[in-house]
Amino acid sequence: MTFTGLVGATFMLPLRAIIATCVRFRIHPNLLTLIGVLINIAAACALGLGHFVTAGAIMTLANIFDFIDGKVATELKLSSEFGGFWDSVMDRFSDISLFIGLIYLYSQMGRTDYVMVSALAMMFAILTSYTRARAESLVVKCKVGFMERPERIVLFMIGAFTNRMAAVLWVILVLSVATVFARIYYTWRALNDPEMTGAAA
Amino acid sequence: MMRPERDLPMPFRAIWHALYWQFERATWQYDVMVILILAFVWLTPPDWLGDPTARDAGPISWLARWLAGR
Repeated sequence: MTFTGLVGATFMLPLRAIIATCVRFRIHPNLLTLIGVLINIAAACALGLGHFVTAGAIMTLANIFDFIDGKVATELKLSSEFGGFWDSVMDRFSDISLFIGLIYLYSQMGRTDYVMVSALAMMFAILTSYTRARAESLVVKCKVGFMERPERIVLFMIGAFTNRMAAVLWVILVLSVATVFARIYYTWRALNDPEMTGAAA
Repeated sequence: MMRPERDLPMPFRAIWHALYWQFERATWQYDVMVILILAFVWLTPPDWLGDPTARDAGPISWLARWLAGR
């Protein structure tokens, strides 16, 4: 087993218990999604005030809700097209909230450079999901690029808990730019490269 | 048509694969990428990035202090 596989399996143990509890009380997955967003907005406020460790703790709680909603929907047989749509839209709310928290913090500190880094990272984070959604209306699957939402969220938490948000923002920015261009290139190839014509929808 | 994943020489091919990422999570390639990212985040001195919020040299200084205290 790989290192990241082991970390994932370790975190799955307590999450299974939480999922089982939600299933037992038949908590609707769309409600879990909404609670996750509201908690993420609280994390964004903590980021905006520069309380990074508090923000990290709140983000951890929020992301438990984010992670379990899909699993609870499957277990309760409540998966629906609207649920997927709702989840995607709420994920964007959460992402943008966290970036706005940082933009507010850096603007209060008079650091225009990091306001720009945060704003660009936010732009490319949104484009990461948009390019995939749009590409998958043209090709079967467009799952290229490293910086997807789970990676971004874990990086945010690492940045908050260890007070290394600047380095984290640079990583998110550079790899989000790479992911967006990878998706554009992949889609172009899927539509034009004879070797990849099977990937076109 | 040029295919960078096949036509580029090393180390450019490795850089291409890192940017044009097509590996799954929990693979050895994913582990390597995670280690590189964590090394950058924790080992880069905050001054180099002009970090507005970092208050010390971070985990590397904590480790140095812990080793010095032993």
